[in-house]
Amino acid sequence: MNTPGILGIYPFGLGRENWRISRFVYYGLLALQHRGQEASSIITLGDDLHVESRRGLVEDAFNEKALLSIPGFIGVGFLSSASNDSPIVISSPIRLVLVGDGMPLLGKDRQSAWRAFAELLSDEISRTGNSLKAAVKLVEEVNGGYSFIALTEDQEMLAGRDKYGIKPLEIGSLGFDLGAIASETSALDVLGMDHVLSVGRGEVVRFDPYSIERMRVRELPNPAYCSFEYVYLARPDSILNGIPVYSVRIRMGEILAKETPATADTVIGIPETAIPFAIGYSRASGINVDLGFVTTGRRVRTAIKPSVFERLMGVQLKLNPIKSAVNGKDIILIDDSVVRGTTLRNTVWNLKRRGARRIHVRIGSPPLKFSCPFGVEIPPPDELIARSLSEEEIAEVVGADTFSFLSVNGLSQALGLPPSNLCLRCWLGGVKS
Amino acid sequence: MKIMGVGGGAREHALAEAIARSAHSPEIYWVSELRNPGIYKIVKATGGEYALADTKDAGRIADLAVKWHVDMVVVGPEEPNFHGIPDEVERRGIPCIGAKRSLSIIEMSKAEMRRLQWKYNIPGKLLFKTYQSYSEALRDLERYSETLTWLQNVALKPARQAGGKGVKVVEDSQIYLHAEKQEFKERHMRWLEEYMEKYSDIEEKILVEEKVWGPEYTLQCFVDGRTVVGMPLVQDNKHAHEFDIGPETGGMGSYTGRDFLLPFITEEEYKRSIEIVEAMVKAIQDVTGEHYHGFIAGQMMLTEIEGPTLIEMYSRLGDPEGVNVLALLKTDIVDIFEAIIDERLAKMKIEFSDEATVVKSLAPKGYPDFRSLAKGHPVYVNETLIKEKGCKLYWGSAHLGLDGSITTGGSRLIEILAIDESPAKASQRIEECISLNPVKLLDGWGLFYRSDIGSAEMISRRVELAERVRRLYKYREERGTLGKRIDWLPKIGRVDPVASLLKELSFRR
Repeated sequence: MNTPGILGIYPFGLGRENWRISRFVYYGLLALQHRGQEASSIITLGDDLHVESRRGLVEDAFNEKALLSIPGFIGVGFLSSASNDSPIVISSPIRLVLVGDGMPLLGKDRQSAWRAFAELLSDEISRTGNSLKAAVKLVEEVNGGYSFIALTEDQEMLAGRDKYGIKPLEIGSLGFDLGAIASETSALDVLGMDHVLSVGRGEVVRFDPYSIERMRVRELPNPAYCSFEYVYLARPDSILNGIPVYSVRIRMGEILAKETPATADTVIGIPETAIPFAIGYSRASGINVDLGFVTTGRRVRTAIKPSVFERLMGVQLKLNPIKSAVNGKDIILIDDSVVRGTTLRNTVWNLKRRGARRIHVRIGSPPLKFSCPFGVEIPPPDELIARSLSEEEIAEVVGADTFSFLSVNGLSQALGLPPSNLCLRCWLGGVKS
Repeated sequence: MKIMGVGGGAREHALAEAIARSAHSPEIYWVSELRNPGIYKIVKATGGEYALADTKDAGRIADLAVKWHVDMVVVGPEEPNFHGIPDEVERRGIPCIGAKRSLSIIEMSKAEMRRLQWKYNIPGKLLFKTYQSYSEALRDLERYSETLTWLQNVALKPARQAGGKGVKVVEDSQIYLHAEKQEFKERHMRWLEEYMEKYSDIEEKILVEEKVWGPEYTLQCFVDGRTVVGMPLVQDNKHAHEFDIGPETGGMGSYTGRDFLLPFITEEEYKRSIEIVEAMVKAIQDVTGEHYHGFIAGQMMLTEIEGPTLIEMYSRLGDPEGVNVLALLKTDIVDIFEAIIDERLAKMKIEFSDEATVVKSLAPKGYPDFRSLAKGHPVYVNETLIKEKGCKLYWGSAHLGLDGSITTGGSRLIEILAIDESPAKASQRIEECISLNPVKLLDGWGLFYRSDIGSAEMISRRVELAERVRRLYKYREERGTLGKRIDWLPKIGRVDPVASLLKELSFRR
């Protein structure tokens, strides 16, 4: 389960061409690494355009020597969990490079949809001679859930979001020098930037050497912010659309405790995403929270590892239970979401083998039943356990004593937004929101 | 009565307008480097005259004042103060509203201002160091990198007021970006040294000041040598672009709140700020033996170190901040000028209307760092449309040709003002006005401005920032550590950068 991470850094003022921006892009991408771990790209523009797309984690893909060899003062970064994902480069009529999160509804897969989008953008800029108007026109006309950053041959950086604001995009500033756009504020924080605002839904922001301009589509529908960002995709230190991810996860845990209470000795969250949910559950229920697992090696997000083998490897490494925390105890075990149930089953049995007595599994989100039309990589429907089995049946399969999901209403309450202002397609399917 | 004004920006346009409103119905005379279309219109309507001259040429300006038999001279910008225009005008027997050369040093030399503040122990100080050359600065930064940790997070400034240009803030607190930031620091100091070459009136070229963070605000005042009278607070916005991004400018727009305050500054903080400005006026008068007649302003920031903190001083009104306050001024400005000249401000009641204002600047693309690109474009303005939308226009850097055509001067072209019950409403009013394109460059070159100034979003961001800073300085206040810098370094022990600075300053004296 994954969606790309994108980043753009733009220097202003006298001497702007003196910045070596590659290291800024590198560290910004590190703070977005959780969004994609199979492909990393650093794109820079200076005297010329440099597009460096490599396999693997940012840290593996780029070493110090590689960074120093990338010139250029305007920078764009891209991360994806699909190793064939890469920035789109268009050479005519207007030369540009584009990176996107989510997906415009212009093709079967992300790569072809974004290529079509980038081609339209290039054509439209060439036709109108105004990149800002061209990009707004596309946002107006192209449906989907997406955000993008494009860099043109004229040193213009365009950043935009779909009309519903499904995919996030945040703006930052550093001193009197740098402006930045990123999928999440975590990247801005790590670069020492001030987070200033979100790009609005249906809005395009254009950075050029002499100005920043923004323009919005004329008719704005209700927002439909991606709820899965708050459940799983985003980092808990990020703030998206003005809503702090951490607080949402805490509230989800609190609401979960009210919706489906259980008696137990301790609450344990599955690292790392579910820990805030467990804290919330503990606060609302009055049951102590414990650290249940220690991870080995680098942080790995199991849900976004491509093959079953690697996923299972990931579970072993990621979730070594702390025996003294679980032995002889009744446990409320919390995870953020359930996809196939494989990880959860392994985890529950692992805990039981270490002496846990009853295990009540609580999930901080509603049943995941549908694929994402906007390119978040969710396994096909026949691989989603919640699509085939009821809560009781899942409890049996994973070995839990009781099992329950958060309700859609609970999710909406935790976000402080009505369901009509959220994208809930992965839980509810293609319902109108 | 005849009054002569000096300077050709939007602030001076607002001054001319305020003078024209006076019940004394003065004849207005003006001198500036470019012919400001707005001031020109006012001057002509009152039967006065307009001359173009170098406003740094004291003799020439005083000659004009004598030739026109004016009763007083009012100076708008800082450079005429630095060049002794008030001194020369008064020497010829004409009273002047403007800080004399020796007094205006508090603006001209950012280093002198800071030394004065430390010498008189006036609250709201910052640690600083000055250098005559780039290499000297570099050597020093290297030498003290271990013992003076504040040198890692600094503002690098020209030591002299240089048209609100050249300030860079470098926060070097991410070790992984250290190389880039170090390189940037060095490059900028080298640039500062070159940039300062053209100013021969000062030895110190580079000012390195401790970096602070917090919301900024400007406190502008009338001064008559005895009394300092504060005006409503204004917040100016220095970044060129939307969302506080991009290079430093003279100010892209500003707003006032209600009741003299801003939504993020308390009455107590206002009081402390004015005490700082008063103390600075007293100190500079004490040092020079002169009486300060004119405007003064503290460009302030609420900081975690001391709460209200002095960043810089203006020996004049701010621009655009002056436009905000003059629009609210209810008292006859000529009465105020006369009171300043007679030093009886204390007995005067100065009133401002209790409304919010927003000013937004429009500048040609290229401003502030690539001014040659911003200069010389023909301008079209639909003044009727601006008026219809309930806004007012002030001409800035523009030149009115003899044929009636107007061209850009390279700096901020126009300032648009709106008055309403809240900044957000006034901001919205300007947005509606600007969306109708009342200002255009006829050759198709672009103009830019900041739509976010005064907006509800901006203000809530400033309020949030102020609350975080306030929590910190109040903590210091409770513990009695306000203004103290406390540090402990391994193998060295306790370090007190304030003590080292004071030692350095006394050594200098």
